[in-house]
Amino acid sequence: MAKKVLVVDDDENTVKFLSAALEMNGYQPVGAHNGQEGLEKIKSENPDLVILDVMMPKKTGFVLFKQLRRDEQYKTLPVIMLTGVAEVLEDLDSQSGDTMERPYDALREAMRKAIREMKEEGLIKPDQFIDKPIDPELVIAKVKELIGS
Amino acid sequence: MWKRVPIACKLSAAFAVIIVVVLVGMDYVVGLYAPPESAASRHWITLIAILVALGLACVISRYLAGRLIKRPVDELLSGMDRLADKDFDFRLDEDRGDEFSALAASFNDLVTILSSSLTELKKSQDYMRSILESSADIIITVFPSGKIRTFNAGAEQALGYPRLEVIGQPIEMLFADPQERRVAIERLQYTDAVVNYETRFVTKTGQIRNVLLTISRLRNPAGEVIGTIGISKDITEEKRLQNQLIQAQRLVAVGEVFTSVQHSMKNMLNACKGGAYMVKAGLANDNRKMLVEGWGMVEEGISRMTDMSTDMLKYVKEWKPRPDRVDLSRILSDIHRLIKQTAQDKGITFRVILSPEIPPVVCDARMIHSAVMDIVSNALDACLWKAYTEEETPEVVLSAYPGKGEEVVIEVRDNGCGMTEEVKANIFSPFFSTKSKAGTGLGLSITSRMISVHGGEIEVESEPDRGAIFRIVLPIDRTDRSKEDIDGKKGPGS
Repeated sequence: MAKKVLVVDDDENTVKFLSAALEMNGYQPVGAHNGQEGLEKIKSENPDLVILDVMMPKKTGFVLFKQLRRDEQYKTLPVIMLTGVAEVLEDLDSQSGDTMERPYDALREAMRKAIREMKEEGLIKPDQFIDKPIDPELVIAKVKELIGS
Repeated sequence: MWKRVPIACKLSAAFAVIIVVVLVGMDYVVGLYAPPESAASRHWITLIAILVALGLACVISRYLAGRLIKRPVDELLSGMDRLADKDFDFRLDEDRGDEFSALAASFNDLVTILSSSLTELKKSQDYMRSILESSADIIITVFPSGKIRTFNAGAEQALGYPRLEVIGQPIEMLFADPQERRVAIERLQYTDAVVNYETRFVTKTGQIRNVLLTISRLRNPAGEVIGTIGISKDITEEKRLQNQLIQAQRLVAVGEVFTSVQHSMKNMLNACKGGAYMVKAGLANDNRKMLVEGWGMVEEGISRMTDMSTDMLKYVKEWKPRPDRVDLSRILSDIHRLIKQTAQDKGITFRVILSPEIPPVVCDARMIHSAVMDIVSNALDACLWKAYTEEETPEVVLSAYPGKGEEVVIEVRDNGCGMTEEVKANIFSPFFSTKSKAGTGLGLSITSRMISVHGGEIEVESEPDRGAIFRIVLPIDRTDRSKEDIDGKKGPGS
């Protein structure tokens, strides 16, 4: 039976092309267009992996992610996060203190803070960050790596 | 007792005594030598005796007069001389008893008064001087001829000239651009003081110091101009820091612009990249539906990049409103007609309320239309971003009404997602966007400029989840001012 992957992104295009790519690679894609819908779909569809966009209206990717991780049932559910600033998140991940500061970038700052808080809370971090513009082939490769074909 | 007798009496008495003594003496001598029967020789002798007595009286009186009058007068004169030399450490003898005592006492009083008032004067002069000297500001007074009169320690310190070197020199030598001093002096003709005039001094070693110069006229008690006094504050360091800050802010601004453009481009490229992937997959699998969808995405990405490039151009180009008498209700009705359907499709109620008393406004109808349209579209988006409860329906209300005085207000009110303080503070900054995937981040920034070239402004009220109110306040007739604004805002292209 095909493994189920949920794509949560308010950008219709991203949901569309990632779903197409997943389908071509033998996965069963499910789409959601905001955080709220994403949470409902996780509960109703019970996906094997979630691809989650960070910047979304109503409920941001991080809010949804934290909610998942705090729930015993989804504590280890594989999550790939789509961001515009993946390189910064990786800096933070490797705990390197010499990350170049770009104080004018409020979004990066907000992300760092969110990740730091998650770490402090002891939540398992997302399995993978993928930066935009998204390379569908890279996403498929990561999905394969995380949950197999 | 004798001391209290006036000098004239003393002299007369002395004179009389001498004459009597000499006459008696003579009489005695005549009695001794002249035979009493020789009346003629007796008369001669008497005459000689009188003459001798007069002569003696004159000599003795002269001596006495010298003693009694000349000495005190000389003393008085020498006192005057000492006074002229500002020597106040002496007093005349007041205890002589004659008329000179009173004179000496008056003179002594005069010396005392003069001495104490001069001491006072010197004290206040010293005080003033110490203020001038201890001031770190540059204080220079100048004669009407333009020559330097005084130069304080602050000036020596800041400009590196010892005062002896500059006093008497033309003040222009201290200005990096003498023309700037002339401008300040010209301004001084119309007012008593020119305050905080920003100019540049040049030091002895040729360095430029930025100063804030306050220059005022110096007048004597009669009100005549006796020169000018200039007090300058050295602001070189402040200026340097300010420039550094501006430079840093400029870098930050450029950084912000680049980051923002990059964010926007990432989203646009995302559509292109995903679309291209689908086109490729569609071709490989001979899947027409995929091909069409993919191509649609590529086109969308391209069109969004085109929009952004147009907006960026719009943002930097020169603004020249073409003012006309405009009926705002027509603009608002037109927007209502254009937006109504879109709003309805999105499940949003869109209403327009027009006050009948709105006067015609002198403005560029095209620009106001575009500005209002932009704010209305934002309001619709804000409604889409909010999770409404069952009792609430998404609504956007556009209205216009007379404002305070000569103003009209165009109001756009929505009950959408609202804004945090942080977002509110940034909405008019270029490239700031909360619509990470759709906006260019330039919309409101362009809108606010369109309104400001009309001499108007945009006010915002909002709270998260409580909707937002945007008010465009427009002056009814600002033809003259808006012309000024345009002239003042000529960009590099003009």
